[in-house]
Amino acid sequence: MKARHLILSTLVLACMPALAPADESSRVALVPGGPHPYFAAWEQAGADAAKDFGLGAADYKVPSKWELGMQNQMLESLVTQGYNAFLIFPGDPVGTVAIADELAGTGAPVMALAGCLKDPSGAKFCMGTDTGNSAYLGTQELLANLDEGAKIVHFTGFLVDPNTQLRIDAVEKAANEGGAEVVQVIADIDAPEPAEEKINAYLAAHADDIDGIVTTAWVPAVVAASALRKIGDKRIKMVGIDHDEVVLEAIADGYVHGTMLQNPYGQGYIGSYVADRLRSGCEVKADAPFASNALTDKFVDSGTVFAGVDDVGDYVASMQAITKDLFEGFESTYLDCAS
Amino acid sequence: MSGRLRDSDWFGPFLVTVLAVVTVTAFSPSFLSPFNVQILLLAISVNAMVAFSQMIIIAIGQMNLSVGAIGGLAAIAFGGMMEVWGLPWPLAAIVALCIGLLAGLANGVLVAMTGISAFIITLASLSIYKGINLGITEAQPFYAIPQAVKSIGNDTMLGPLPWLVLPCILVAVGLWYALERLSIGRAVLAVGGNAHAAELSGISVRRVTMIAHAVSGFLAALAGIMLVARLQIGQPTIGDDWLILSFAAPVIGGAVLSGGRISVAGTFFGVALVAIFTQVLVLFDIDPFLVQIVLGALILWAVGINRYREVRARRQLGVAAP
Amino acid sequence: MAKNDGGRGARISPVRVLLSNEFGLIVLIILFAVIFASVSPAFLSKFSLYALGRTAAVNIMIGFSMMVVIVTGGLNLAVGAIGVGAAMTGGLLMEAFGWPWPLAIAGGLAVGAALGAINGVLIVRSGLHSFIITLATMSIFFGVMIFLTQAQSFRGISPAFTGFGRSKLFDVLSPLLLVSVAVGLLLSVLFRLTALGRELLATGANERAAELSGIRAHRMITVCHVLSGVLAAVAGLMLVARTGAAIPSMAGQLGQDWLLPAFLGPVLGGTLLTGGRLSVLGTFLGSFLVTMLTTGLLLMQVGAFWVQTWLGLLLLFAVLVDMARRSFLSRRKLA
Repeated sequence: MKARHLILSTLVLACMPALAPADESSRVALVPGGPHPYFAAWEQAGADAAKDFGLGAADYKVPSKWELGMQNQMLESLVTQGYNAFLIFPGDPVGTVAIADELAGTGAPVMALAGCLKDPSGAKFCMGTDTGNSAYLGTQELLANLDEGAKIVHFTGFLVDPNTQLRIDAVEKAANEGGAEVVQVIADIDAPEPAEEKINAYLAAHADDIDGIVTTAWVPAVVAASALRKIGDKRIKMVGIDHDEVVLEAIADGYVHGTMLQNPYGQGYIGSYVADRLRSGCEVKADAPFASNALTDKFVDSGTVFAGVDDVGDYVASMQAITKDLFEGFESTYLDCAS
Repeated sequence: MSGRLRDSDWFGPFLVTVLAVVTVTAFSPSFLSPFNVQILLLAISVNAMVAFSQMIIIAIGQMNLSVGAIGGLAAIAFGGMMEVWGLPWPLAAIVALCIGLLAGLANGVLVAMTGISAFIITLASLSIYKGINLGITEAQPFYAIPQAVKSIGNDTMLGPLPWLVLPCILVAVGLWYALERLSIGRAVLAVGGNAHAAELSGISVRRVTMIAHAVSGFLAALAGIMLVARLQIGQPTIGDDWLILSFAAPVIGGAVLSGGRISVAGTFFGVALVAIFTQVLVLFDIDPFLVQIVLGALILWAVGINRYREVRARRQLGVAAP
Repeated sequence: MAKNDGGRGARISPVRVLLSNEFGLIVLIILFAVIFASVSPAFLSKFSLYALGRTAAVNIMIGFSMMVVIVTGGLNLAVGAIGVGAAMTGGLLMEAFGWPWPLAIAGGLAVGAALGAINGVLIVRSGLHSFIITLATMSIFFGVMIFLTQAQSFRGISPAFTGFGRSKLFDVLSPLLLVSVAVGLLLSVLFRLTALGRELLATGANERAAELSGIRAHRMITVCHVLSGVLAAVAGLMLVARTGAAIPSMAGQLGQDWLLPAFLGPVLGGTLLTGGRLSVLGTFLGSFLVTMLTTGLLLMQVGAFWVQTWLGLLLLFAVLVDMARRSFLSRRKLA
C-alpha cells in the first residue's frame, strides 16, 4: 500500500506542472548559516529531489561565512532571483525570524532545517535532529561504558547555533542521571583552528583526569578522534557525532566508541519535496502531531541513530532507512492536500 | 654589560616568558610534560612565522594588513594543488611559497610606485586575496593532504621537538643574520628609521620596500603551509585571525611602529608569551573570552613602554620628542 | 554639495563639476543600476530596492563613522567593535533591564561615545598613531563585550524597535535609510557651517598650523573619535532593529568585517586619507554604490564567493583613480 501511495503521489506531482502555468514551478533554495561539512549532503539531496519530483530547482546556496548579515543578504538576493521556497538553517534562532517572516510574506513556504527558529515565526515548521535527544542518547551510550562517578568533558559547537545550548543542557542532564560529572564544556570550537588549539591543549593538560569525551559538533568530533589516535589512547571513551571519515575510521580502529548519526540528506530531500507540495496547494494540518523543543512547538524529528563499531560499515543504509520511513509517512501525517 | 642586557629588546620578554613558565608549572606540573611542550612548540612555530612576516614590514615603518589573507591563499593553493592536480607535496609547497612571494611583491610594488599608504593598499589586497581564496574554495576545505605532510605538521623529530620547529628556527636565524650583518638588512632598518635620510645616503627606498613586502608575503605563505600540515586540512579560514597577533608579538618584542627598530628574539618571545597565555586559559578553565582583552592590553602596554623608552632615549640625546 | 574647499572661492567650472567625485559616483550608480536591471529585471522590484536601501543605510553609517576620523588624519579600526558593543548594550538594556527602547538607544549611543572617548584620550595622551591604539582597543572592546555577554545574543528586543527596522514606506523605502540621510544632513551642516567643523578640517589638513592658529588639536582629535563612536553605535543599533536580535558576531571577529565598508565609502566619496578634506555626500553615494554592487553581483550569480575580490579591486581602483585625478586637476590648476 505504501508503494501505491508513493506512485500515486509521484503521478500527481508529475501532472502538476502540466496543470500549473510554466513559470510556477517550485524553485527551492536550501540555505545553511555558513560553510560547514554537515550541509554538504544538502546539495545532493536537493539535486536528487529536483530530479525525482520534477522541481524547477532545488539549489544549495551557501553564504560565504557564518555571519547573519551575509545570510540575510543572500536570502534577499534569492527572492529577487526567483526562488519561491526556502529551507533555512537559521544563522541565529531569533535573528533569522525577521527575514523568514519577510520571505513568508512574499508567499514562499519557509521551513527551518537542522536548526529551529524561535516561535512565533513565519516558518511552516522545523525539521531536524532532535539535538537535545541525540546528545542525551549519546551521553547515555558513553556512560554505559564507564564506571559510576566518571568524569567527562563536552566539546560542542558555535554559540550562535540554536542547537548548542540544547546539547549542553542535554549532556548535563544525562550525566546527572547517570551519576557522572561534566568536568568542562568547551564550546564555540566548530572550526578547525580553535578546535585543534583548545582540544589538544585540554588533552595535554587533563587527559589523565578524565574518563570520557562527548562531542556534539562535527569539527570537534573529528579533532578529538584524531587527537586520541595521535596520543594512542584507548582508555578514554568517546562518543562523537556525524559521519566524517576520520570519526568512522577511529570507531573501526577502537579509539572512539561510537557516533550519533544525523540525517542531513533526509532533511534536504524531504524538505524540498514538502516545499513543493506546499506550493501545490497543500497546507500544514492544524492538528499535526508535531513534537516540541525549547525553541518551537512545530518540530519534526528527522531521526538519529547510534552507530558503534558494528554499524559503521553500513551507516548509510541506516540513514536511508530512516529517510524512507519519514518520507513515506510525511504527507499523510503532516499535510492536508485538498487536491 | 648588565645595562646593555637590560636595554636590549629581547631580555624583558625573555624574563617574563621564563617567569610565566615557572609559575604555571608550579600550579600544574603537566605543563612541562612532553606532549604539552610539543603542543606549545607547534603553536609557537606557526605563530612566530606570522609575527616575523609582519615584523619585516614594521621594520620599514609600514604595516601589512594582508598577512592573513596571503597565508590563507597560500594554504589553499598548497592543499588544492595536491588534491586537485595531484602535485607532489614539495612541488606544491614551492609553488605556494611563490604565490606568497608574488602577492607580497604586488603589495610592495603598489606601495613603492604609487606612494599610497601601505595601510590602504594592503587593506585592498587583503580583500582581493581573501576573495580569491573564497572564490576558488567556496569555503570548502581541501581534505586530501598526503600523510607525509600531516606527519611533518604533527610529529616530533627529537624528543618533544616537532618538525615544524625547524623552519621556524631557520627563518629566525636567517632574519637575524640578514638584519645584523647583511647590507640589505641594514638598508631595511635605515629606511624604517628615516626614509629620507636613507634615500640621501644612496639606498633605494623603493627597492627596499618591494623586497620587504615580498619577504613578508613569503613568510606569510610559509606560515599558511605549516598550518595546513598541522591542521591536516587545507582550510580556507586560515589567516582570518592573524591580524592582532601579527602586531602584538613584534610590539611586545620591542618593535617601534614608526620603523627602524625591531628584535627577532624579542618577537619570538612575544609569540611564546601569547601561546603560553592562551594555553593557560584552557588549562585553568579560565573564561576563554579573556584572550582578546589581554592581547589588546598587551599591545597597549608594549607600545606604551616602547614609546617611553624612545622618548627617554631622545631626551638623553638632547633631541625633542616628535 | 561640492567638496568643502576651505573657502578658497574656487571657480565652479563645468569641468570641475564633471570631474568631481560626487558626479562620477552618481553616473556610476545609474550605470550599474541599468546594467543590473537589464540582466535581471527583478533588481528594480520593490522588495529588492527596499532590501538594498536597508542594507545601504547601515553601510552608509559605517562609512560616516570612519569618515569623521579620517578627516583629522587618523584611523579608527575599532568601528566594528564599538558598534557591536553599543548594540549589545542596547540589547541588554531592553531585555535584561526592560528599558523602553528610546532610553535603551540612548544608552547604546552613550556607550559608543564613551568608547570613542577612550580611543581619543589614549591617542592624544600617548602620542601614538591611531592605528595601533585602535588596533589594541578593537581587541579590548570586543573582548570585554564578549566576556560580559558570554557570546550570548539578546533576543528580547522591544517589538516597537524591531517593527521600525522592518517597516516599509511606500513599500520601497526603509526608514533606516531615512535615518542615514538625516545623519548625513547633520554632518554636512557640522562640517560646512559650524566652527567646530572647520576646526576639525583644519586639524586634519595641518595639525601644527591649526595649533598655531589657536585650535586645540588634541581636543579636536578626541571629539572626532567620540563622534565616530556615536556613529558606529547608530550603525550597530540599526542592525539590531533590522534583525530583531543583538548578536555578538554581527560585525565579525573583533568587528573586523566593518573595516572594508568603513573605508570604501569615504575613499570612493573623495575623503582624503591624509585628512583635511571630506565629502559627506560622496561618502553617502560611495557606500550606496558599494552596497548596490554587492547586491548586483549576488544577483548575477557571480557567486557570493567572488564579491569580496571585486570589492577589494574596487578599493584599489578607487584609490588609484583618485590619485590620478588629483594630480590631473592640480596640473591644470583646478584644485
